[in-house]
Order: sequence, then C-alpha cells, then structure tokens
Amino acid sequence: MKRLTIALAGNPNCGKTTIFNNLTGARQKVGNWPGVTVEKKEGTIKRNGYELNVVDLPGTYSLTPFSIEEIAARDFILNEKPDVVVNIIDAANLERSLYLAMQIMELDRPVIFVLNMADLAKSKGITIDAEKLSALLSLPVIFTVGNRGQGTDLLVETAIKEALAEKKGKEARRVTYNREIEALIREIEASIDETGLNLESWPRRWAAIKLLEDDQVVEENLAAMEEGRVDEVLAVAERSRSRMEEFFNDEPEIVLTDERYGFIAGIVREAVTVSAEKRADISRNIDLVLTNRFLGFPIFIFFIWAMFQLTFSLGVYPMAWIDTGVTLFSSVLDTLLPQGMFKSLLLDGIVAGIGSVVIFLPNILILFFCIALFEDTGYMARTAFLMDRIMHTVGLHGKSFIPMLMGFGCSVPAIMATRALENRKDRILTILITPFMSCSARLPVYIVLAGSFFAERAGTVIFGLYATGIVIAILSGRLFRSTLLKGEDAPFVMELPPYRVPMFKSLMIHMWERSKMFLKKMGGVILVGSIIIWVLSTFPRDPAVSARYADDISRVTLEYTRSMAGADPVLKKELALEVETRVSALEKERDKELVANSFIGRFGRVLEPVFAPVGIDWRAGVALVTGLVAKEVVVSTMGVLYGVGDDEADALNHALRNSGMTPLSALSIMVFVLLYIPCIATVSAIWKEASAQWAVFNLLYTTSVAWSLSFLVYQGGKLLGFG
Amino acid sequence: MNERHEQEKKQFMKLLGQEEVDELDKRFQILESFLKSENHETCQEISTRLDHEGVSLGPGFVAETMELLCRFGFAHKLKFDDGPPRYEHRHLGLHHDHMVCTKCGIIIEFRDETLERQQVDLAAAYGFHMLQHKMEIYGICSDCLKKRSMRVPLSRTKQGEFLVIKGFEGGKKAQMRLTSMGLRIGDTIEVVSTQAGGQLVIALGDHRFVIGQGLAQKVRVEHVCHHPQADFPKRPCLRKLRATGETVPLSRMKEGQEGVIARVAGETRLRRRILEMGINRGATVYVEKYAPLKDPIELIVKGYHVSMRVEEAAHITVEGVRTVTKR
Repeated sequence: MKRLTIALAGNPNCGKTTIFNNLTGARQKVGNWPGVTVEKKEGTIKRNGYELNVVDLPGTYSLTPFSIEEIAARDFILNEKPDVVVNIIDAANLERSLYLAMQIMELDRPVIFVLNMADLAKSKGITIDAEKLSALLSLPVIFTVGNRGQGTDLLVETAIKEALAEKKGKEARRVTYNREIEALIREIEASIDETGLNLESWPRRWAAIKLLEDDQVVEENLAAMEEGRVDEVLAVAERSRSRMEEFFNDEPEIVLTDERYGFIAGIVREAVTVSAEKRADISRNIDLVLTNRFLGFPIFIFFIWAMFQLTFSLGVYPMAWIDTGVTLFSSVLDTLLPQGMFKSLLLDGIVAGIGSVVIFLPNILILFFCIALFEDTGYMARTAFLMDRIMHTVGLHGKSFIPMLMGFGCSVPAIMATRALENRKDRILTILITPFMSCSARLPVYIVLAGSFFAERAGTVIFGLYATGIVIAILSGRLFRSTLLKGEDAPFVMELPPYRVPMFKSLMIHMWERSKMFLKKMGGVILVGSIIIWVLSTFPRDPAVSARYADDISRVTLEYTRSMAGADPVLKKELALEVETRVSALEKERDKELVANSFIGRFGRVLEPVFAPVGIDWRAGVALVTGLVAKEVVVSTMGVLYGVGDDEADALNHALRNSGMTPLSALSIMVFVLLYIPCIATVSAIWKEASAQWAVFNLLYTTSVAWSLSFLVYQGGKLLGFG
Repeated sequence: MNERHEQEKKQFMKLLGQEEVDELDKRFQILESFLKSENHETCQEISTRLDHEGVSLGPGFVAETMELLCRFGFAHKLKFDDGPPRYEHRHLGLHHDHMVCTKCGIIIEFRDETLERQQVDLAAAYGFHMLQHKMEIYGICSDCLKKRSMRVPLSRTKQGEFLVIKGFEGGKKAQMRLTSMGLRIGDTIEVVSTQAGGQLVIALGDHRFVIGQGLAQKVRVEHVCHHPQADFPKRPCLRKLRATGETVPLSRMKEGQEGVIARVAGETRLRRRILEMGINRGATVYVEKYAPLKDPIELIVKGYHVSMRVEEAAHITVEGVRTVTKR
C-alpha cells in the first residue's frame, strides 16, 4: 500500500483540531516534536488504497523563527516534505488566515486550501468565490464545516489528488512581491547559485526571502551546513537588506510583511464579497456579560470555583472507589502470596506506589474536561484577558492564573495545565512556582501540627502558611523573570475567538489524550520512584530485629494464653484487651526501630545536623524525607516514629506535645513542608513538562528556600524569645 | 472650477479607455470622489469617503488608481515629512508651492512669481534647464505662533529653533550646573536635536551641550524670530487646508472609537507579532473594550477580536480617529 503524508496547518482557533479528529477519530498518537515540548499529533487512515499519515502541525499565525511552535511547523514542512499540506482557513477570517497561507505556499510543497466554518462565514454575510481563489493561487480550494463533519471526504480526496499531481510535476506557485524586492530576491538566488551553496531540501527562493528577512535560524543552519561558503551569500543578503531599508525606509521584514498583506488584499478583493447586512453577533453579546466591567470578575470567580469544586469534590467519590479497589487488590494479593521480600515489594512498593498515582486519575480527568471546555468554548482566552493585568505584575501571562490556582488542589494536574501557555519561558516559570501553592496533601500535616501546638489559633496559622506560599511564589516569579528566564514576557497579542458550542467528541478526545499521557508517562517514573523509596525504607533489613520482636510478641501472647486459660469470662475479656495493647505496643516499637534503621531512617539521622538549626529533630526529619512519596505520608511516618498508629490523630497530638517539640519548631516544620521538594509525582510532572534539569533545579531551589525560611522562622523566633 | 473638473473627467475616460485600463468604472468613481475634495488626501481618506458613499474599494486599489492618475497627469503626489503620500489635483498649467505647519499640520498653498522667476534664473546661472520644482517650507503657522506662550521650558522646544534664555528655575544646584556649563541668561541658543527620552543637544556659539530632560525643564526660553512678522506686508495665501491626518497612539483611544493604523512601531519581535495578526498599516481598528482592570484592550481588526496589553498598543499609531456608536 502506498503511503502519503498529509500535514494539517492553520491558525489557532480555525477548527483544525476538529477536522483532525474527524479525519482520524480516536486513532491518534500524541507525542512531542523532536527536541521541543510542543504537542505533536499524528493519525493514520486508509483511504482509496492509500495509507495516509495525517500530521497535525501546531496552530500558528505565521512561520517566523520566534516561537518553537512556528519553527516546529516550518521544519516539518521543509525537512519531512509532506506529500501535501492541507491549509485550514477560517472562512470568516480569510484575510488574516491568508498570511500564514502565503508563507506555507513559499515553502514550495503542494498545498490545498480548506475553507472551514463556511456556514459561519455565510451567516456573517461573507461570500467567497472558491473558483476564483483557486484560479488566482493555482491550488485547489474546498469548503468544509468541521463541527458537522461536512467535507471531510472531499478533503481527503482532494489531498490525495493534489499529492499525486505534484509527482507529475507542476509549475511553482509563488507570492509575487514588489519589483524592487523581486530584483533583490533574484540577486540573492543568483549568489546562492554562484557559490554553489547546498541548500539540501530547501527551496531556493524561500531561502533567499528568509535571508532578506534576516532569519537567524536559517542563517545559522546555513552556516552549519556549509561552513565558510555561506559568507559570500550572507554578504549579498546584508547588502540587499540595507538597499531595501534605504528604499522603503523600514526594516526589510516589515516591508515584506506589508507586501504580503498587499498581495492578500488583492486576492481578497477579487474573491470575497461582503454583504453590508449585519446580523446580531452572538459572541459579542456573550462578551458583553462575561468580560463586563462589573460582572466579568464575579462570573470568572464563579467558574473557577465551580471547576475547583468539580475537580476536587466530585473527584473524591471515584477516588474513594479507586482507593477501595487498590486496598481490596492488595489484600487479595496479601492472602494469595506467600510471606516474603517479593510480596513486600509488590504490596508496599509497586501497588502502593502506582495506587498513589492512579488515585489522581479522577482529578485529572475532570480537570482536563473543564480545561477542554474552557478552551473549546473560547472562555480560556477571556480568562487571560481578565487576569493579565494582575499576572503581568508578577511577570506572568494571564493564562498562568488557572494552573497556579489548580496548584492549591494538586500540583500534578496544575503543572499539566500549563500546556495552555504558548510561550515556553512563561510555561517554565509557571511550572517552577506552582509547587509553592500549598497543595491539598499538605493540609493534613498542618492540621496535625497546628492542631497540636496552636489550638484555637490553628486556623490563622494555616491561613498564614497559604499566604506565605503565595508570597514566595510571587517573589520567586519575579526573581526568575529577572535572572534565569530573563527577557520580556511574550507579547500578549492574543485572539479572542468567537464563542462556540463545544463538540462532545472533541472534549472527550482532548480529555482522554491528556489523561492517557499522564498515566503512561507518570506511571513509569512513579513506579521506579516507589520502588526506590520502598527499597530505602525496607533495607537494610536486620532479621534479628524482626525476630526479636516476633519472639517478644509470641512470648507475651503465650503468657496471657496461659493465664487466660484458668480465668473467669470477665477477667478473660480484660486480659484479652491487655494482650492486644501490649502486642500493638510491641509492633509499634518494632516498626519504629525498623524505619529508624532503614536507609531512609539513617538518611534522616545523617541529616540531623542539617535539620538541627531549623529546630527539626531526627524523627520529624525522617518524616519529611518520606514526604517525598506524597505529602500525606509525613503524618503517617510521624505516627510511626512518635510511637502511635497512624489512625490515632489524638494520640499523635499528645505524643507530639510530649516529644519536646515546641510550637516554634512545629511552625518551622510546617513552613518546611509548605515549601520543600514537591512530591515525586510533581517532580516527574516537571520533568516531563519542562526537562530533567528543571526538575532537579526545582528540587534544589524549593528545598533551599524551605530551609532558609524555616531557619529564619526558628532562629528569629528564638531570638525574639518564643523558643 | 467645475467646468474644469468635467473636462478632466472626459479626458480621463478617453485616455484610459485608449490605454485599455481595466475596471475603468471603479477607477472613474475614484476620480470623481477625488475631484470632489480640494484637500490633500491620502489613499486611506479617499477610500474611507468612498466607503461612506457606499462604494467599497480597498485602499490598495485606490492607491493603484491614484498612481495611475499621477501617471496620466490628473493628480500630483506629495509627501510631507514622513506621513503617508497625499494627492492633490493637478490642473494643467497651474502650479503652487506649500508651507506646512509642523505643529498643527495645516498646509498653506502659495504662489510667488518672484520666487518662480528666481528659480528659473538661478538654474540658468548654473547652466541648468529647470523642468520642475518642488518647494515645501516647514515651520509654524501664524495661528500656532499666536497661541504659543512666549516663555516656555527648553524641554518643549523643537529641533531647529533659535531661543533666548530668559531664566532658570529650580534650586541652586540646577542653576549652578547650568551656569557652570556656560549658559547665561540672555544667551541665544539653537536646538540642534531632540532625542527620545527628552534629551536635547543645544548649540551656543560653536559649543554643543547635551541637556537631560529634567534640566531642560528648568530652563525658560523665548523664541527668536528671524524676521519679525511686522516688517513684512501680509500676503493672502491661495488656500489653507486643514490636515486631517492627526495621529494618536492606539492606547489612548477610547471604547467605541475607530481609526486607521498609520504605523506599527516597537521592538522587532512584538512588531512582527502584531503584524502577523493582521494589525498592519492601513487596517481599520475598532476599540471594543478595555478589560475590567483597564488593561489589556480588546480590538476588532479585519473582522475578528484580538486583545493586547495597553503598553503594546502604545506602539501602534492610528489616524483619522472617530467615534462610532456600534460596528
């Protein structure tokens, strides 16, 4: 079977994703573009005896070298040479869409134009003469209505036909510029020929235009491909640029942009008629309410609240089911498997670890459903519009708000939600500061500690912690923006697309793709992480310790069995209770000793000098280290180490108060928990969304901030006499 | 005048008909519209007026036609300062020159026989046969001169002006600095250049000084008239044309206002981003609303909605701003 590659290109919000979904259905492969974290979607379909590989290029307005999406799209067309590029155009926005179309045409691949949302354009009174457009640009033009699935078959057929026609040879389509510019382009082309510069797969004319535009990426690539030989061409280009600048009194790339628009204006005038009749613009009427000066914010806050509620309240039920399921599964395994190392690994390591990730799945599904809803209806752009003024003061983009807010729930989905941000720097910045938003898993730690030491002022203390997190996030944001992620934040220039009724299928695909990725990618890291943590907390295993306690327990049991044998029923009951208490005390003692002797326990003790200046004893230290798995674990480890069961909150309160911990050191621990290394799931999320380096950086940064602030709190408090 | 216009129209049909120019009807409409106004107009203005008359021809087509009219001698292309080209009627046999006020933009047409003759003589003295000439005098018109307060801070003066220092304001420190530079009350200075950020380069005798904005605000100056007007008999001018092309930054437009983009400035990256979103020279922009916190701003361009920060909008210059109730 013959294989053909079809690339889908188009502006954001032009309905490209809908068409892609119509074409490929659920048979999609989501990955990243090589070297960059821009989502790449592919799907394979069989049609008319051809196997068609459909690639969804990132939605962009242009193909400049200024954003990774645009470079990814451009490089794919240039290097992979798809058999045909399907340019999807919002019919209601022809003039603007043609700007990208012109640049795609310059890449010299077979192109077909798909005028999507033809119904919307018609209702706006726009009539497009497809035949004329087709004749003017010498390429096929078809109409589709993506959300009703109209024209999908025609699209495939036209694409195949065009891809085959190209192979028979077809004259080059071109965008013509002003006479002077054409002369300069020819000059650069001639110099490319003269020097015998090897452009590999690049069209010569395109390369010449890019050199005239002073495209850094093209220049660097040329220099890398052809050392030395390229200088002559670059000199010619430089000269042409300065001639152009002199002639047009403006930067060459701006002149070329103007020229393209001039060309486009000509095409639009020929092929489009707009009837003067104006109809009610529903989208504008919705915006009268949703971005209203007075109502805008209350409505926005309501939507966010609703999303939060849905994600974290509705999510509780399926989470409980999953929890029960995992518990059931592990108890079944418990009874089925023989006692031993493997069982412990399987139960306490793998099942527990994976279970702790799978439990996030409902959250993630609901969250991504909400986000997909926001994006597909067009409300996402409005939230950025509303929030940008506030976020901009921190050096962030308006779209950073939602991920940061989600951080109060759980950092993992919050970090994944940063995908809504187009600019990589903005994304990394948001990812780095989101863990400072105190996630819900940290709350149990605060409740126990603040409850034990601050009694009725606990609420105030916890609120203070949340506020501290926000302040640290803001300060860190400003710090990163002026150092590591320097540079102006991306221009805010953003389309506010018309409101649309979202398609259920599209929402489902969107939600499922993201969640699948979460499970697949996080799963791997978490699995490894859980095993490592399990190994650290289980080994080195001194069988003598377990054996000693086992002996003790059996001795105690035996003792009581003996005395119980001759006792009357009332005493028997009392004795039974007594034996239970003694055995559980022994078990606690055993667990404590085991954890204390394990690698993780030793690690905690090694860290004792590090924790001492911030007022954290070795037990709390070990608990903090185990918090790496998940923040809730801090409480249960504390339970073990302070010698109470993890289900006895009151006892833990009591034990903590008697352990010599002061309110000040409790506060220090809470500050540390607020700020230090996010859990392993978050670290792996950062790893996947940013890079390993950023994950490590975040790890070090958060921990040093946590230590410094705890140090300030503890030592400062001591100086002020609160110790 | 009208008779001449009729004659021009007839000639237009005949000439362009002979040349088999396409879309003659539409081009004729442009000529008619152009002849109606006695202003110096830009293509955009012509196109906008045509729009109001119910004829929708893009500025690009108008520009092309205007070039055609120039070629056939019906119009004359003028370029003042760095604004867009403007066109005026070219009635054969009539010539005039222009004075342009740099303050209010008014264009005064004048004709001076002595000057015309002198130019021919001057050219001849160089053995030069003069075919054509163009004369534009830039300065400040009498109205603006009247409005101008006599004593202004140095920071508000323009390049090329001659001024007399009348006094220093501010504390002793500023005065000391200025006097130590050698600037004294009563000195005549020339503004050599004004730079972005308010820095001025001034000349005193054959010395140049750079003065920052803060200091320049503290120096009070008066204008020196090269030729006190009273010495010359006032002459009537042929015509005074109110310039309509007043520009404002987009960030200063109010909700419900519409205008035509004259220029997109700013750092290359931002500029290209703005341009590739279809916000380019000649496009009509409508301010839909400001966000609840007054930033960003929502615009309608080319039939779609786009938002940008106010600081970004400040890079875009708009002309012909007018309030429309609802688009």
